[in-house]
Amino acid sequence: MKADAVKNVQLADRSPSGIKIIWQEIKKDRLALGSFYFLLIFLASVYIASFMIDQKAIARVDIFSIYLMPSDAHLLGTDYAGRDILGQLIFGTSNSFTISLCITILTALMGLCAGLIAGYFGGIVDNVIMRVIDFIMSLPSTMMIIVFVTVVPKFTVTNFIFIMSIFLWTGKARLIRSKTLAERELEYVQASQTLGTPHWKIILYHILPNISSVIIVNFTLNLAGNIGLETALTFLGFGLPESTPSLGTLISYARNPDVLENKWWIWLPAAAIILVLMLSINFIGHALKRSADARQRRG
Amino acid sequence: MWKFILRRFLVMIPQLFLLSVIVFALAKQMPGDALTGVSMDPRISPERLYELREKAGLNDPWYEQYRRWISGIAQGDFGKSYTHKIPVSEVIAERIWNTVFLALITLILTYLLAIPMGIASGRFNDTWIDKVVTGYNYLGFATPIFIFALIMLFVFGFSLGWFPTGGSVDSKVDAGTFAYYLSKLHHVILPALSTALIATVGTVQYLRNEIIDNKYKDYARTARSKGIPETQIYTRHIFRNSLLPIAAFLGYEITGLVGGTVIIETIFSYPGVGQLFVSSIGLRDFSVVTAIVMMLGFATLLGTLLSDIILSVVDPRIRIE
Amino acid sequence: MVLLKIDDLKVHYPIRGGVFKTISDYIRAVDGVSFELKEGETYGLVGESGSGKSTIGKAILKLINMTSGRIVFNGQDLSKFSFGQMKPFRQDIQMIFQDPYSSLNPRKRVADIIAEPLRNYQCLTVGEEKKCVQNYLDKVGLNPDSMYKYPHEFSGGQRQRIGIARALTLKPKLIIADEPVSALDVSVQAQVLNFLQDLQKEFKLTYLFIGHDLGVIRHMCDKIGVMYRGRLVEEGISEEIYENPQHIYTKRLIAAIPELNPERRAQKTELRKKIAKEYEQLYPEYFDEHGRAYDLKSISNTHRVAMP
Repeated sequence: MKADAVKNVQLADRSPSGIKIIWQEIKKDRLALGSFYFLLIFLASVYIASFMIDQKAIARVDIFSIYLMPSDAHLLGTDYAGRDILGQLIFGTSNSFTISLCITILTALMGLCAGLIAGYFGGIVDNVIMRVIDFIMSLPSTMMIIVFVTVVPKFTVTNFIFIMSIFLWTGKARLIRSKTLAERELEYVQASQTLGTPHWKIILYHILPNISSVIIVNFTLNLAGNIGLETALTFLGFGLPESTPSLGTLISYARNPDVLENKWWIWLPAAAIILVLMLSINFIGHALKRSADARQRRG
Repeated sequence: MWKFILRRFLVMIPQLFLLSVIVFALAKQMPGDALTGVSMDPRISPERLYELREKAGLNDPWYEQYRRWISGIAQGDFGKSYTHKIPVSEVIAERIWNTVFLALITLILTYLLAIPMGIASGRFNDTWIDKVVTGYNYLGFATPIFIFALIMLFVFGFSLGWFPTGGSVDSKVDAGTFAYYLSKLHHVILPALSTALIATVGTVQYLRNEIIDNKYKDYARTARSKGIPETQIYTRHIFRNSLLPIAAFLGYEITGLVGGTVIIETIFSYPGVGQLFVSSIGLRDFSVVTAIVMMLGFATLLGTLLSDIILSVVDPRIRIE
Repeated sequence: MVLLKIDDLKVHYPIRGGVFKTISDYIRAVDGVSFELKEGETYGLVGESGSGKSTIGKAILKLINMTSGRIVFNGQDLSKFSFGQMKPFRQDIQMIFQDPYSSLNPRKRVADIIAEPLRNYQCLTVGEEKKCVQNYLDKVGLNPDSMYKYPHEFSGGQRQRIGIARALTLKPKLIIADEPVSALDVSVQAQVLNFLQDLQKEFKLTYLFIGHDLGVIRHMCDKIGVMYRGRLVEEGISEEIYENPQHIYTKRLIAAIPELNPERRAQKTELRKKIAKEYEQLYPEYFDEHGRAYDLKSISNTHRVAMP
């Protein structure tokens, strides 16, 4: 077991690509590996299905089949307007995942820029960026997002992504800054400076690769968190616009006590999908985290 | 240390100012103002409307309006609610104690759950207790509060009927009696427990890592080599070092709860500030919305302030001059 | 010919205090240091940790911002330039770092590490670059085939050689060696030091050698400057410093060198005690009321001492 671990570490160190290292780590953890395959298959089938199914047919109101129990015609039943739940689940999943991914990518970019710059240059730049971050972090973000969503003149998916990102990039920026700060103290950064390498190259080609594992772990965990946040906001009625159904939309029907109590097939599958998605992404994230943190490493 | 606290207070002033400017700007963006209802009235001519607007100060430059607005808030005047037809401060006053009560119970439950779990899994790490707690942590970390709360409501509220499914108190009991307070507690338990079971995860994780870290530190080893019994090493040394930061996170915990109230109160139809916030947005009653954002924003700022200060008292390394 | 002239160099850091974080005082890491380096010589800076010797090296390369003073290299005043404007001069001044473990990026192959300066200054084809890297690896005594390995596959001494190869690729005139052997095992130290001397002859290098090991400094340096609390207290050629120390701090420093001959150890202990006593008594004569060393005064052509 031990020799195996040593071998793995060496292999990981040898390989220059970050992707390979990640794969090594996931393969070591059976739960994470299972989650990874599950996610891959599940998301692939959802996306393929969402291309094949006609969205208009799903969105069509059918007053003769309101609140139908699961049956052969409607595998998972219908909602208050007679719309097929399974179809909505497929579109909801793909929308929720895509949008959360967009938010995660956008916040990662913002956090990377701010964190790397603040950590590398320090001084006044760092001070200004950190004050802005402190301020945004001290705002009640859920409420702020809700107010922004109501106030914004034309509410679209893009706007929603931007509004969420404004409030969600700060934690990442803080993390990346602290890692950059630690990395910057190492002499290889000073060595690169004396060798005439410009600052931007040092940041991108020297510091960034060395903190990439932290960024990847954070990215994974954030992706799961953002799915939860997006669906929660949609559940409250302040998330995705109605034209873009999300998993949260289906759960929001449960705000009606009658649906919650008696028509479980409407909200429970969506809730289950969110749980399963977040759990499997988290399993992968934690496996990566364990590998980045020797104290928690298994075996 | 006083210098640190004073400086931390001074930092809060511009933050508070910025918060108020942002809230004010948002309020200005919200459709409708105090005279929207009047302007719909066909009997009032545009000239008369202009006059009214002039009189209400709605044509003044924004900084003038901001000055008036902020000095009103400083005196507790948040304007008048459009739907309730009474001052906003009164609307909020009715609800605020429900929210505070809910938050308090949630906090107590969170710590009641976190401390034994964290200590058990930290002290006996890699035993079955630790495995159970860690497994629970995984699940709790991955579960969004609103889904967990819905399932709790579905199971314990509707299916089993152990807890009420809405409101903050039974309407049949008289205010002030023992039964009244019991009923209040009965109503608050389910939402508080749902939040606490999820919110506790972060603290458990932190406590566990802290204890495991401290366990192998030199000072613990020294104590062990001196022959101090293991239990005493934990009670006298390790817990003290690991629990103090947890106490300090109280403020951040409050900050987190403020965000959670909106969701929890909506799900459990609990008449608190968070639910008022959501329903006011639905009703387009923006003077209430602005007031709540301003108030809870202030609470969040205070929460962070509190934590920073406790942390600086507990951990001298933070107050580097 | 004078290659590098440092004139009244000061590096001060503000100490902030109070509620508004106003500047209450300064830490004077380097406080008015002047000296010269002639081409081809090795100048040693010695002093205890925190005396500011490394700060001087880093200030020359603009890794640390200096507060005031002049740094003249090859007739050019470097102190006026910004970090970016320094780029053309970095070819001529290179640095060898103290810690061979953190000074090499763990994610880069040796080939990339050594070729980094080449890629910044010269446009070489892949083949030329490879040849150049192999050539320098050979020069520092490493197998040219090891260019595709990662730093962690080498020992401390080998890593330091990689660092040296990297510093040599641009054919610099001046190399600042910041305690280049203090992180290495004693058995490897001599090897690296002798190797640095060989390179000096081959490439006609000038060294600014920073260190705290008096034995190493004596072995390496033609001229020595002794630093204490950000000031030079004594400067001279090696013999003068070791055989005829004038400043009380230098005397104490020299007396601290361990005696290898066991028969003379008791004698040495006596001497140390005597000097320690002298140090206590004469302290006010060598330092002013703030504990700051006086300016240097010449007592011979080459020997300067900080005396009132």
